[in-house]
Amino acid sequence: MRRPTKQNTRQETRTHVNTESEKTDLKPQTSVKNVLASVKLTIFLMSLTALTVLIGAWCPQESANGKEKVVEQFGAETAKLLTQFGITDIYHSPWFLSLIAMLTVNMIACSFMRVFPRVKLLNKPLPFIGGREIGKLPVNTSVNITKGEKSAFTAIALKLASKGFKVSTNEERLLAEYGKYGRLAATVTHIGLLTLLVGVTITSWTGFSGFQPVLLNSHLDFHESEHSKLWIGKLPDWTVRVDETRREDHPTGEAKQWFSKLTVIDKNGKEVKTQEISVNNPLSYDGVDIYQSSWGLDHLILNFNGNERRLDLRPMGKLYAAFLPLDQDTMMLFSVRADGKPIKVFAKRPDWEGPRMLTELSKDKPAKLGPVTISLIKTMPVTGLQYKCDPGLPITYIAFGFIIVGVLMAAIPHRHVWVSFENNVLYFGGRSVKDKVGFERLLKAMETQIIRDFGEPKAEDVVETPSGAEAQMPLKSGSPASNSQAGDAKTQTNAEADAQKTSSSTKQNKKELAASATGSGNTENAQGDS
Amino acid sequence: MSEMQMALTNTAGITSVMSFWVFAASNGFKQRKDLMVKIGSGAMVLAFVSLTAAIIIRGIDAQRFPLANLYESLLWFAWATMGSYLVLAKAYGVRQLGWLASLTALLMFLYGSWLPQSQHDIQPLVPALVSYWRWIHVPPLIVSYALFFLGGLAGFIQLYMAGRIQSLITAIVTVCLALLAVVLGTFTTVDTAWLQILFAGASLVGSVISFKLLQRVDKKIGDAKLAEIYDDVSYRCIAIGMPALTFGIITGGLWANHAWGTYWSWDPKESMALVTWLSYAAYIHLRVHRECSAERLALVSIVGLLLTLMTYLGFNSLGLGGLHSYGKFK
Ligand code: HEM
Repeated sequence: MRRPTKQNTRQETRTHVNTESEKTDLKPQTSVKNVLASVKLTIFLMSLTALTVLIGAWCPQESANGKEKVVEQFGAETAKLLTQFGITDIYHSPWFLSLIAMLTVNMIACSFMRVFPRVKLLNKPLPFIGGREIGKLPVNTSVNITKGEKSAFTAIALKLASKGFKVSTNEERLLAEYGKYGRLAATVTHIGLLTLLVGVTITSWTGFSGFQPVLLNSHLDFHESEHSKLWIGKLPDWTVRVDETRREDHPTGEAKQWFSKLTVIDKNGKEVKTQEISVNNPLSYDGVDIYQSSWGLDHLILNFNGNERRLDLRPMGKLYAAFLPLDQDTMMLFSVRADGKPIKVFAKRPDWEGPRMLTELSKDKPAKLGPVTISLIKTMPVTGLQYKCDPGLPITYIAFGFIIVGVLMAAIPHRHVWVSFENNVLYFGGRSVKDKVGFERLLKAMETQIIRDFGEPKAEDVVETPSGAEAQMPLKSGSPASNSQAGDAKTQTNAEADAQKTSSSTKQNKKELAASATGSGNTENAQGDS
Repeated sequence: MSEMQMALTNTAGITSVMSFWVFAASNGFKQRKDLMVKIGSGAMVLAFVSLTAAIIIRGIDAQRFPLANLYESLLWFAWATMGSYLVLAKAYGVRQLGWLASLTALLMFLYGSWLPQSQHDIQPLVPALVSYWRWIHVPPLIVSYALFFLGGLAGFIQLYMAGRIQSLITAIVTVCLALLAVVLGTFTTVDTAWLQILFAGASLVGSVISFKLLQRVDKKIGDAKLAEIYDDVSYRCIAIGMPALTFGIITGGLWANHAWGTYWSWDPKESMALVTWLSYAAYIHLRVHRECSAERLALVSIVGLLLTLMTYLGFNSLGLGGLHSYGKFK
């Protein structure tokens, strides 16, 4: 049986160091470069960004809520101070933008200098290593094989394969890897994040968006769009007409859904597309999406003895109401619940406790109040349309995909196992950066199984060692299971373990080895497993 | 609420109380410990199964996906906490996490049951929530919150096992103060500004002190091997919580884009989720960097727990609503 020569061992140690900390491979590149590519800086910048966003989440933002909200919440003095420090518009502040810029630079530097080069390492084969090096791995153990010999080796290979490891063997050495593609997590995530930046940049330079309340039969155009300062895009020359708009209610009276029927009209006045939209169901035309975002009743048109009059409606809880002062004290009040529902007419005077209902009117049912006949011409609905053109969106979506896949991959633990069968001792060990405990449990279970199945000699085993696996190998001189040799191997193992004191499982192993020397093996099991 | 649903929810609540006490008491017994841990786990399994049934029945009663208001999301949170613990217990044999997991589920049940009746009743959805996106977007978020909670709780145990008692006590007080702020904010009319200060102040001061106190080690207490195991458990929780959070945030963006035409609007709750996401991204890089001690990482996971609490319950209860005020009821 071949034993590793001294020279051989030394060489293995070197390659082993290389694989153990892949960082060292790249050290020369990174140490020359500055802090820009350091993970420390990343963590620092991320924390600062998180803090900034936290402040932005706490303080109402002008862009979303308007200045008044800030003043209302904090009072004029504090609001002024907050505005001065840029906190009320923190996501556009130079502070935030430079944080993002620095994160970007940091990420590009890191990605190209440390993360992406790793991909090349992925297919670089790792060396098979011997018992001595295996003893230096974070998790390692060795088992005295007293029966079954080579089939112990085969059994461990099968076991690893059944646990999802990719196993490669080289005579009496084995290398198994699990979750290899998990190592691409950083690359995939970072490509995603960089892509996201590209997508967002494209949108902010060429896209636009906006909101416009549009009355029934009126048109939406895009002249009041919002876009960034660096904008290089162009606004559409077509418009959208609102042909119909309505609200659907739950039986309880709460709004269930809003609908608007829209027609796109091109610059020559031609109708090119008609579609009914609702919340969650927009219209898309020429790269612009139009969304149903709110709904209301805008005004009433009433006829008082032949004179038409328009009264603006205001939302009041579930209702809309219009006010019509009659004289200094008397106020008329019209309330309506929804388009097409009858209108209730109230009058209010300061000396009355509450408004008094006078009558109800609807389209075909005018009401007579003393000398005045009131009839309803119409209630005018208004539909809140949100629109946006977002040319970077496909790229952004691709980025989202990469980011999700990347972080998912980061959850895959990456594990390596090395096995070497030398002198009737099965050495095995490995490492897993992300899942130490699970990995230790796995190896422990394997150790127990190997000890149970192959660790105890039985008289007949010693005599007829050959099994399927071993038939391929020329029989070695001297039965491996001879007592004296097994004993030698054992002392050797223990001595090594003592010298190295690497892991607790090695120590436990000693005890178990000793215990198994008096325990009983199970041949049937051993054959079943191999 | 149908009676069946009520009965199942109550069963889940009661069994999680049982599970909590049995788990906690098991530490006081030497010989019967294994048996008690088994009983505790059994009670937890029972709680988990009945809660699963309760949620399904609520869905059938309501004829919609049962995750639309704060009460329902609390049920989901308790469900995810117990489920994740059961998986972890199977994979790692971690026991001490058991009583913390049932305590968390229990607190969520209590919090949920104190909510006003309108939250318990099945109510129609506002137009914004009528979408299949709701069940794509929300469950991963709740699951990620539960996993982050468990990650932080494992951090507590890790600190104990590493003998960092003073730091641990500070961290516990910090989290309790933060919880107090959330509870006061939900159920009383105390000015939310004070509660915001309580939450933020306690978190800030508490975290800094805990970090400082990490140097004080009580060598008599703990078990280095177990500390390592809980370190690993904490990392696992976060490593799996992170993709869930990412998925939740991104699908939220897709939904918003679908519904309003913009995938990101710097809404407070959205921003807060981003804060949490960035913090856990920082945690992941701290791990990759490999220069941070396990105890420090445990404290980072506890800070993460505070941020998760803020994102999940803090924002609505401390008066910082925004678009996502489905959790609001005052
Ligand atoms: C913004 C600047 C960023 C920089 C400079 C940076 C840098 C790095 C570096 C150097 C690594 C180690 C790669 C390795 O050892 O293989 C890494 C890993 C990783 N990064 Fe980033 N990163 C950044 C942002 C982010 C963000 C925002 C995320 C989002 C979650 C992220 C997700 C990841 C993931 C998932 C890994 C893999 C971790 C693992 O394998 O467990 N990175 N990053």
